[in-house]
Amino acid sequence: MTRLIKASYGPLVLVFFFLMARYIFPNKMTFIIELAIFSIYVMGNNILYGYLGMVSFGQPFYLGVGAYATAIYLAHIGANPLIGMLLSLAMGLVVGLILGPAFIRLRGDYFALINAATCAIGMFTIEKLLLPITRGDDGLWYRSRMSQIPFLDIRMPDKFFVFALAIFLIVLILYNFMDKSALGVSFRAIKDNENKMKFLGYDTFKIRWIGFSLASILSALAGSLYAINFGFVNPSLAEPHRAAEVLVATLIGGAGTVFGPFFGTLAFLGIKDLVSRYIAHWELAVGILTLLVLFRFSKGIWGNTEAIINEKIGRKKNRTMEKLLTDKAAT
Amino acid sequence: MLEKSNNKILAVKDLDVSYQKLRILFQVSMDVKEGDVAVVVGRNGAGKTTLFRTIAGFLGQDGGSIHYKGQDIGMLRAYEVAQLGLKYIQQDKHVFSDLSVQENLELGSYATKDYNWDSVLDYFPQLKNIMDRKGGHLSGGERQMLLIAMSLLGNPGLVLMDEPTEGLAPHVINDLIQAFTKIREKTTLVIIEQNLPLTAEVADRVYAMKEGKIVAEFNEKQAIQNLEFEAHL
Repeated sequence: MTRLIKASYGPLVLVFFFLMARYIFPNKMTFIIELAIFSIYVMGNNILYGYLGMVSFGQPFYLGVGAYATAIYLAHIGANPLIGMLLSLAMGLVVGLILGPAFIRLRGDYFALINAATCAIGMFTIEKLLLPITRGDDGLWYRSRMSQIPFLDIRMPDKFFVFALAIFLIVLILYNFMDKSALGVSFRAIKDNENKMKFLGYDTFKIRWIGFSLASILSALAGSLYAINFGFVNPSLAEPHRAAEVLVATLIGGAGTVFGPFFGTLAFLGIKDLVSRYIAHWELAVGILTLLVLFRFSKGIWGNTEAIINEKIGRKKNRTMEKLLTDKAAT
Repeated sequence: MLEKSNNKILAVKDLDVSYQKLRILFQVSMDVKEGDVAVVVGRNGAGKTTLFRTIAGFLGQDGGSIHYKGQDIGMLRAYEVAQLGLKYIQQDKHVFSDLSVQENLELGSYATKDYNWDSVLDYFPQLKNIMDRKGGHLSGGERQMLLIAMSLLGNPGLVLMDEPTEGLAPHVINDLIQAFTKIREKTTLVIIEQNLPLTAEVADRVYAMKEGKIVAEFNEKQAIQNLEFEAHL
């Protein structure tokens, strides 16, 4: 319990800044909501890429699974967005559990490409095979069907802001907790040397499967939040060519770190928001930043910041220790 | 204190192992008794590491059998073998470089549910002063000590060590020898070693390997101390 409380300090500070931003920039609420949701999506990819070292070119598929699970429920079956969200989480888990054992047997480029292929198949399924249910390219509209949830009418953007922030906070606390837990350490150790983990007695296949499923669940959750936020879903959300977005955000923020996904999302969406006002091809700025990170700051924004903070703390500790020793020698 | 007994903790019989079509081990047989320190010696390419990797469950076998504490482990996977208490420390001295010494030990603990670090840190008190240091910043000797400490968590019945002293400074090797004399009181050790004087100092039993076969076996202390196995390398 103490560890869970400790894990909540950082996320609470971050959410405090979210709230500040909401009141300092009142016309940026949509941007802040997208920041929270996309961060959850990047967190999922960060488990695969940052922690486990598995690059996936198919993350939009898992985002789409979550978005369409909620959308289909809200458009055809029920009206409660919370039930839609729970369905998305369940679908994320099911997809992770079913595809995981087959996919994680593949390594490197094969893993990346099978996910890309799955994304393309998923896209075809949404657009063509499930046309009567998904309405293909026209998409599903259901905002007017959505009911309010207890205590909060999340159909209203300002209320949805609170809801999305609460979900983001819970996910980030659990994510921080996972990072420090046996599971988080095992993920990073597998990336470093999987054989060594086997010799220590770890079933590394099972651990990677858990990681894959967690990534799938987080992506599905982000998809569900998008679906509730927009009240509309169409296949563009799950287009295979959008796989680079989540990878780039993970890389820019700092792969394998807890807060990297947030800072990566902030940089990615921030550039998109700012630069697109002046030039149409805002991707150029993201590309330049990505190159800069790849060549000069490989740990990303948060990874490098964390390293600087740790170095400063280390120096301070050493100075305190030296002072103690000098005082002791003097007395 | 682990009493020496006549109980075979490890029994390898007629083991054949190949890498694809290339046969590496030919009818290898060895018995290790509980409480022994057995040393496998041989030139490079003799098949020592292949033997260890096969026992540890990392390589499949073409024929023969491997029994640990009477249980056939030949078909088990590496992590299942480790869970039974047979640990393997590779030659590469690779610890988890992004994790601190403490986190590396925690990984050993999570796998075995043994959180009593005092017992293993008693062998290597040096590690107590560098618990926050990242694995990537450790010296070769410190890495080796950490690897041994990690593998000893959970009180394994048998530890296979592949050239633990390779590339280490003489004073570090002395520290390791001191540690081995204490560790052997609690667990059985099988070591691959090229350092023949060290072998003479610690071994109760020596297996000499050549071209994928066990060509000689020594269990007389006097013969081992006289380095009689050297003639078979």
